[in-house]
Amino acid sequence: MANLSAPPVLSTPADHIFVEDPTVPDSETAQAKRSDRTDNELLNVYEIARTATEIREKGWKRVALQFPDAMLADAPWVVGALDRELAKLGPLYILADTSYSACCVDEIAAEHADADVVVHYGRACLSPTSRIPVLHIFTRQVLDYDQVVQYFEKEFSEKEDKIIVMADVMFQEHVEPICNILRQKRYSGVIGTAIVRDPTGVIPNRKIILGEGQDTVVAEGCTGPDLHDHHLFHISTPPRSLLLTLSSRLTSLRIYPTPSSPYNTPSELPDPSATPGILRRRYALVIRLATASIIGILVNTLSVKNYLPTITKLKEQIAAAGKKSYTIVVGKLNAAKLANFAEIDGWVVVGCWESGLVEQDGLWKPVITPFELSMALAGDEERIWDGRWWGGIEGVETEKRKEDASKQDSGEQNGILNTTQHTDDVEGGVDDDESEPPEFDLRTGRLVSHSRPMRLAAHNGANNKASALNGEVPRTSLQGSSALVQRKLGELAMVNGIASPGAEFLRSQRTWQGLGSDFHHADEEEDELSTIVEQGRSGVARGYTVGDDASRA
Amino acid sequence: MVNFTVEQVRELMNEPENVRNMSVIAHVDHGKSTLTDSLLAKAGIISTAKAGDQRATDTRADEQERGITIKSTAISLYGTLPSDDDLKDIVSKKYTTNGFLINLIDSPGHVDFSSEVTAALRVTDGALVVVDTIEGVCVQTETVLRQALGERIKPVIIINKVDRALLELQVSKEDLYQSFSRTIESVNVIISTYLDKTLGDIQVYPDKGTVAFGSGLHGWAFTVRQFAVRYAKKFGVDRNKMMERLWGDNYFNPHTKKWTTKSTHEGKPLERAFNQFILDPIFKIFSSVMNFKKDEVFAILAKLDLKLATDDKEKEGKQLLKAVMRTFLPAADSLLEMMILHLPSPVTAQKYRVGSLYEGPPDDEAAIGIRDCDPNGPLMLYVSKMVPTSDKGRFYAFGRVFSGTVKSGMKVRIQGPNYVPGKKEDLFIKAIQRTVLMMGGKVDPINDMPAGNIVGLVGIDQFLLKSGTLTNLDTAHNLKVMKFSVSPVVQRSVQVKNAQDLPKLVEGLKRLSKSDPCVLTSTSESGEHVVAGAGELHLEICLKDLEEDHAGVPLIFSDPVVQYRETVMGKSSIQALSKSPNKHNRIYMIAEPMDEELAKAIEEGKISPRDDIKTRARIMADEFGWDVTDARKIWCFGPDTTGANLLVDQTKAVQYLNEIKDSVVSGFQWASREGPVAEEPMRATRFNIMDVTLHADAIHRGGGQIIPTTRRVLYAATLLADPALMEPVFLVEIQVPESAMGGVYGVLTRRRGHVFAEEQRPGTPLFTIKAYLPVMESFGFNSDLRQGTSGQAFPQMVFDHWQHLPGGSAIDGTTKTGQIVQAMRKRKGLKVEVPDVSNYYDKL
Repeated sequence: MANLSAPPVLSTPADHIFVEDPTVPDSETAQAKRSDRTDNELLNVYEIARTATEIREKGWKRVALQFPDAMLADAPWVVGALDRELAKLGPLYILADTSYSACCVDEIAAEHADADVVVHYGRACLSPTSRIPVLHIFTRQVLDYDQVVQYFEKEFSEKEDKIIVMADVMFQEHVEPICNILRQKRYSGVIGTAIVRDPTGVIPNRKIILGEGQDTVVAEGCTGPDLHDHHLFHISTPPRSLLLTLSSRLTSLRIYPTPSSPYNTPSELPDPSATPGILRRRYALVIRLATASIIGILVNTLSVKNYLPTITKLKEQIAAAGKKSYTIVVGKLNAAKLANFAEIDGWVVVGCWESGLVEQDGLWKPVITPFELSMALAGDEERIWDGRWWGGIEGVETEKRKEDASKQDSGEQNGILNTTQHTDDVEGGVDDDESEPPEFDLRTGRLVSHSRPMRLAAHNGANNKASALNGEVPRTSLQGSSALVQRKLGELAMVNGIASPGAEFLRSQRTWQGLGSDFHHADEEEDELSTIVEQGRSGVARGYTVGDDASRA
Repeated sequence: MVNFTVEQVRELMNEPENVRNMSVIAHVDHGKSTLTDSLLAKAGIISTAKAGDQRATDTRADEQERGITIKSTAISLYGTLPSDDDLKDIVSKKYTTNGFLINLIDSPGHVDFSSEVTAALRVTDGALVVVDTIEGVCVQTETVLRQALGERIKPVIIINKVDRALLELQVSKEDLYQSFSRTIESVNVIISTYLDKTLGDIQVYPDKGTVAFGSGLHGWAFTVRQFAVRYAKKFGVDRNKMMERLWGDNYFNPHTKKWTTKSTHEGKPLERAFNQFILDPIFKIFSSVMNFKKDEVFAILAKLDLKLATDDKEKEGKQLLKAVMRTFLPAADSLLEMMILHLPSPVTAQKYRVGSLYEGPPDDEAAIGIRDCDPNGPLMLYVSKMVPTSDKGRFYAFGRVFSGTVKSGMKVRIQGPNYVPGKKEDLFIKAIQRTVLMMGGKVDPINDMPAGNIVGLVGIDQFLLKSGTLTNLDTAHNLKVMKFSVSPVVQRSVQVKNAQDLPKLVEGLKRLSKSDPCVLTSTSESGEHVVAGAGELHLEICLKDLEEDHAGVPLIFSDPVVQYRETVMGKSSIQALSKSPNKHNRIYMIAEPMDEELAKAIEEGKISPRDDIKTRARIMADEFGWDVTDARKIWCFGPDTTGANLLVDQTKAVQYLNEIKDSVVSGFQWASREGPVAEEPMRATRFNIMDVTLHADAIHRGGGQIIPTTRRVLYAATLLADPALMEPVFLVEIQVPESAMGGVYGVLTRRRGHVFAEEQRPGTPLFTIKAYLPVMESFGFNSDLRQGTSGQAFPQMVFDHWQHLPGGSAIDGTTKTGQIVQAMRKRKGLKVEVPDVSNYYDKL
């Protein structure tokens, strides 16, 4: 059975396995805990009985089991137990080496096995899936209530405070009992939470339970109770993106670390007081993207519902800002993969809300979330950074809608602005071939002229239309022409009248122009080093001929 | 009433020989704005009564309140010479008219604002250097003079505040003469030190009329020439001969009625001609007025054939003195005369200035246009600064037409500082909406403006950050970017009080960085908006402007912080090695410190990435002791491709090396912008690529493998080479009476200051102390000094150099430096400990 003491060596090199995994195991404690577990315990942890019942009820035949890396050691045991429970109902597959992040359901891998359902073990981001039903087994963990309560009392001395108690999904079942204990201890403002699949809530994936049976999902902007005067008590360490999200929405955040968990014991406790610092660093990244000309859309999920519409939306947003976007899929992302695309000035990650926050050391170009991108593209006149933060793709649309609303609000102002600009133009007798003003790069304090390379295209398009309206025939109808045109040597291909920014980058920034270019270069630089051409070896590998010498060397 | 019209001015512009562009420069409080007033009064822009008190060129409210000039202000004047006779003394050309257009720029004297002086000097050809009689040549006098000479600006001198010498110090005539000649001597020393040979002899001599003496506050001044003209008539000799006699060791022997160079006659001392003929009447007027001997005053006046206005006759004491002296020797007349006679016209000046102005070849169309100051040539216009308009957020582009004619509605090419001919970077095309004439705080619209004049432009402010070149010639190169003598080394971060105001802050920061030639606004990696200025006062003014004017929202400012630089103290102890993520490529690197002189030369642009490789290598070999082959193999400068760190290729026969060069350079730019110790920029570090092994397959040595690896190996090499921090250091010059010197030393010692020069100003009890003071220790230095010396010491601080931060290793958290590093990392939201070298160094 569970003979494996460590995860098996997989295709990814060993030192890369855990790099991006939010459930980083402390392998030593994990092993120590695992060895003395009985079957009964494991049955409870993996909720074998419940799983089997669900599968049988829904009539699923082919079942894929997805384990995070830390739990893979238990996988054979789980398969065995489930098989016994289901009485060989159908094949069970173990999905290891998840494509993106362990918190998401790996639908692609599941489809390879043609599975009817995915059973996802361990902590999950609960992002809705697009194709395959999923059964989340959070795995139950034990918790020492006394310790938790002690810690709680140490953190909160004021009994009237409004405190929301929340736990990692793996500890969710303990929230209610703990709340009850606390209420008995006369903490009148304690509020419990329950799981709900709504990552866009004020507290992602949680609803708050107000006393007897009343529960509310607090969505942003809704009329639910304002949580800004509430404190939050979180059992076990939240992932960083959750930390950022929560810290902006609640007064304060206390974390009870859970050393007892074999699967979730990050070596260092994140300091909630450091979140403003982290948020500021994110803001710096946003500023960097504001003047980027080419933005890469990095697809970091293939399973979260809506990821395709989100990509389309992002493309539209980027195009509307006059920037160029490229969509790129690299699998599990790391610094080396991203740095291969030298022409891209910044990345936006389309991923689940937990994996959307990419904060690796050594990323060459900034990587931001769709929410942050909408900030970056909003322009300096509208960008407000008030500590709200969101990591996932779920927010994109709502954000957009809100933006529109706010635009309408300020419509009057904008109107005035537009008219003034208009008169400006008239005054100067401006015509079409004048340049757009450059943009101020807040990061360096300089002006950059190339932050919106695609804007010219939009302009030209408009001009063409305008001239067509005036009854003139556009001489070079760029869109309509399907005739082959000979490209002049050394000229870049033009799309809608502008050169591709990517190609332009390679043309202007890259000094290496292929073999031969460096010889020419070397000649110019230092003539004394130029050497006489000598005849090299020729022949086959068995034996080469050197120069004119007929004998083989 | 203004005694000239814009039409008149426009008319004169067609005669570039009759134009004088000049700036008034000096040490702080030597009386530039006050002197300028008397010129404005002469032109009728302000009333004569107010001249000297109004300081009309201090247009901002805070300038008036604080009594210092902050921004340079341009104003155009119409002036005439007293007689057509004088026209003959202008050597260069025959003059058709006696009217002259004087474009004058009053500049700030405080060292924190010397970038304004630089911007003013660029657009002018001559400079009126104001020197205080009592204080003499001060640090800022030297700085601005040096800048002026660097820009090939011809100076004339006025020794100001002579009234103080007479009234407060009660010096004797001979003492005053000695003091004058000492001051002139020290000015001439500076001039000959920094002389640009193309300018010829531009030392100043009273007997040539290039030195004036006077009092801006009282509105009088004279040159030796003026007196020479007077006495020439009386004695019936040639005035040029007379001029020579009225200065230096020339005496009039009353017994022989002959001129002599001997100071004694039959054992009795003779009175120096300057004292006898020039100072004597002035001294007499002073003593009789101040002793309330009014009839004596009127007697002198009658002798001088001068008439006092009736209401002036009623005045007493200083008021009367002012009125008398103003009538006797009106400041504006002597200044105008000096400027018209001795400062070059644009036509003259641009002939020798073109070489130092234009980046392109000296024989192309643009260069010839500039050389000839040709109004029909191609347009070449340099915008040296931005002046805020009454329309909030918009600016006049303030500049000088060097060639061609600029018109309203004209379409021009706007070339930013990074423009390279033939490329599209930093190039914009835009029509100029309007051209205006800058008149102090006001502007007057004008249709066009020919070469040689100073102009304000409307409608192009969005295209230039601070300065740039405007042209209508496709092939024109840039006019050279200005070099400032100050650097923005003091910075504070700015936050909004209400998050909703952020857009306004951002907008404000944009405007702020436009409105000042020196201020730098940026966003740090840790997400703070940072404003950097040349000194505490500069920063204070900038932030005040930002809060009250540009942004207009409540802001929170952090305490001033210092920008550090990361560097290395030694050579890497072992060769640093990093492997690429796929383990197929290895880069070996060594870091070593670079000569301070070389780093400075790079920062000053003497050695730049744009230079020709061979000539640069030669200079580096000759002046900095580099190996020529090494110097030829410099791959790049960094950060920002211009910084003072070098990447040198020292590999031998590495295959595919050229293929990865771009990636290595990218990694180098990245690493040198954010060093390993505290993410501060690196400085004065040289990296040698020792060896590189690459995978044979191009796909395995792409940018993704090389860029992060280069950064890691650079970090490893740095951490192995005894990394250190460099802190900026101010040069402080303190003027203090001997009695308070102890206090100065005390304050300096407490603040890690280091005195390297101390000298007494001859003839005064004042000492000048020169010291180096770390910028970090300079916060609050002024008030500390004021306390320590009961307000008797006046410091001037200007950034001088970088020095290693003493106090132990930067990577050891227990040392003083280590703690500074840790505090900095914490502020930036980084992990507190500096990452160990093992994070970047890979074992083979």
